[in-house]
Amino acid sequence: MGALFTFQESIGFMNHARSTICTTLRLLALAAACLTTAALADEYGDVNQLLRAGKLSEAMVKADSHLAAKPTDPQMRFLKGVIQRNSGKQSEAIATFTKLTEDYPELPEPYNNLAVLYAGQGQYDKARSALEMAIRTNPSYATAHENLGDVYARLASQAYNKALQLDNDNAAVPPKLALIREVFKPNLNNPKPLPTSAVVPAATTVAPAPPAAAQPQVAAPATKAVVVPAASSPAPANAASGDGAGIRSSDVEAAVQAWAKAWATKDMSAYLGAYGKEFVPAGKQSRSAWEDERRKRIVGKAKISVKLDDLTVTVNGARAVAKFKQNYQADALSISGRKTLELMKTGDQWLITKESTGN
Amino acid sequence: MKRHLFALVVAVTVGLVPLAHADTKKKNPSSVTGGSSSSTFKKARNAGQAGLAEASLIEVYQLIAKTQNREALEKAEKLVQQHPNFQLAQLVYGDLLAARTRAVRTMGDVPESMLKVAAPALEQLRDESQVRLKALRERPPAGAVPSEFLTLATRNKHAIAVDASRSRLYLFENRPEGMTLVADYYISVGKSGLEKNIEGDLRTPLGIYFITSNLDPRSLKDFYGSGALPINYPNVLDNKRGKTGSGIWLHGTPPGQFSRAPQATDGCVVLANPDLEQIIRTVAIGTTPVVISQRLNWVTPRHARSGGKQFEDALSAWQNAKASGNVDRVLGFYSPDFNSNGKSLSQWVPSLRGEMRNGQGRAIQLKDLSLLRWTDAADTMVVTFGEVAEGARTGPTKRQYWGRQGTQWKIFFEGVIG
Repeated sequence: MGALFTFQESIGFMNHARSTICTTLRLLALAAACLTTAALADEYGDVNQLLRAGKLSEAMVKADSHLAAKPTDPQMRFLKGVIQRNSGKQSEAIATFTKLTEDYPELPEPYNNLAVLYAGQGQYDKARSALEMAIRTNPSYATAHENLGDVYARLASQAYNKALQLDNDNAAVPPKLALIREVFKPNLNNPKPLPTSAVVPAATTVAPAPPAAAQPQVAAPATKAVVVPAASSPAPANAASGDGAGIRSSDVEAAVQAWAKAWATKDMSAYLGAYGKEFVPAGKQSRSAWEDERRKRIVGKAKISVKLDDLTVTVNGARAVAKFKQNYQADALSISGRKTLELMKTGDQWLITKESTGN
Repeated sequence: MKRHLFALVVAVTVGLVPLAHADTKKKNPSSVTGGSSSSTFKKARNAGQAGLAEASLIEVYQLIAKTQNREALEKAEKLVQQHPNFQLAQLVYGDLLAARTRAVRTMGDVPESMLKVAAPALEQLRDESQVRLKALRERPPAGAVPSEFLTLATRNKHAIAVDASRSRLYLFENRPEGMTLVADYYISVGKSGLEKNIEGDLRTPLGIYFITSNLDPRSLKDFYGSGALPINYPNVLDNKRGKTGSGIWLHGTPPGQFSRAPQATDGCVVLANPDLEQIIRTVAIGTTPVVISQRLNWVTPRHARSGGKQFEDALSAWQNAKASGNVDRVLGFYSPDFNSNGKSLSQWVPSLRGEMRNGQGRAIQLKDLSLLRWTDAADTMVVTFGEVAEGARTGPTKRQYWGRQGTQWKIFFEGVIG
């Protein structure tokens, strides 16, 4: 039964996995850090260090005391899930990550970790669903793709075993656990505390109250501020809605289709140009990290097809919401799902301010 | 790229071109090419639970052939959830999952480690796949019947014919307008193939049989699945030929297996449990004929009937001779190797005499006549009828075996069966 995991044992895979994992986890750290202050970031750092040092109960005490004050903080809850898992409390870790997916469905990482835990228990069907959710949340989330590939291979193996009536499937110890450890370690290294100043929101439409961590993803505009200095983003907000009456939804449709086309044709300047300055990447990456990732994901593909179905546009002044079914195919990958783009009229252009999946 | 390769491989190796009649999801049956045999087939498919698993499997194949692997995977997943013990479905499901991570080069592209320990099992699943597809691709012509079925009495509501070359059992309903194929099922036969001769040869007998009983599944081991219908092997012809062995049944599959390999049994004919249950609900004990053939020869009912014309003349002549009251004239219809349940012709003649004395030269009628013809090295007619003397309302149900010698038909068995 070891055959199934050969690709995992190979050096090439490990290197690849490691690099994507680092990327992913760095993103999460950033994302969470964006919601908080440097002081909080230090708390994450402390917990991380305890976790790395294997001082799990101390890490847990610290995490719990943090969560007593800020019970919804996703980053600390995520860390708590990691602590639970490392302490062998699988079902508690599953509960923690499950709750995170419910509270922050736009974050792919909790889905991924949930999947890894399920896979560790041999529940590959559940692992598969969780990973598919992770990918739906972020189609370019490489770790989830890698893990999903592994889960598919395991499921295939189970099916083959049943087909050939081999009994040894149950005997296979899920060797995934080792990999999970690898998954989490890099994360614990560097939560990257951010300068306090960067956290102050620039001009935003949703004003994040001071306890930002308590507010879910919508409070994220701060992320952008990390990269783009406040001064350079005038953020027209409502002021731009002067020509509201004359807006036609067809302009918005055209903008959305142009965005899809730029994506499919790998025209990166047109693609990235379709996003306004106010755009907040999903998963709360920084804009530049997001752009880098998009470039890597898109330019690296041999062939991309993006088709939109059931496009509906609602225009409200200088703002518009486009909802559609996105059928995305790239090389061996094929994903369809609902997507929502929020756009804002900037000059004579409709630019994307928010991109989300689901609904 | 890899998925296309997979689709290609399946399409080529199993030769599944989307055939009209294999498409169970049709919206408009009248638009289907391939004639009425396909609509008969569909009717059969829709008749009940039985055969549905196979229909789902075929849909999965067709989706693969159309390179719709995602849809195929979803469908296969549902199928294996419903029938986790359907090994062939698991194999295809495994391929579809594997195709998401690597190139699948052949059907059942299992890892090397499994191939080492389970190559024969894999080969059997591939055989099963081939033979199921073959049976669905090569449909009986519309309205045709196996040439064995010359005449079936109206009281015989159903008949069964097994085509071993296709691993297929065909179920017919005897309707006023004629014999109608209502369903067909994948079956398994003997490990060593066909033409049972001696006890323990692991072969399935060939010939014309009748279902003799319906065994209570509670009295059976799990191995036999949801029930068993014994048939009368060895029959009169088998006995005459010195064949041995017993306990040839139509039965189901053990809990762990939805279906078995095409050649897997000790001589029985094995069906998937839902399929067997359908058969059990349908057949009549004692009267439903079961023809087991190496390869069925499908003819029009008219052709089947006309092929028996010469025989029917012989049967009428026997009937007339019997009415004449002349025992010697009647004896002319019996073969020297006649045997009735152990009695030779000379031992049996007294009972014929007695019967004819009671008949007092009255005409006899043959009611509910069934004629089943078995042709191999010899030409045999299995005849069942109610022999009712003129003026009487009922009479014994008799079965005769007639053999053809040149142009002459002679009776080599006669007995009362009810």
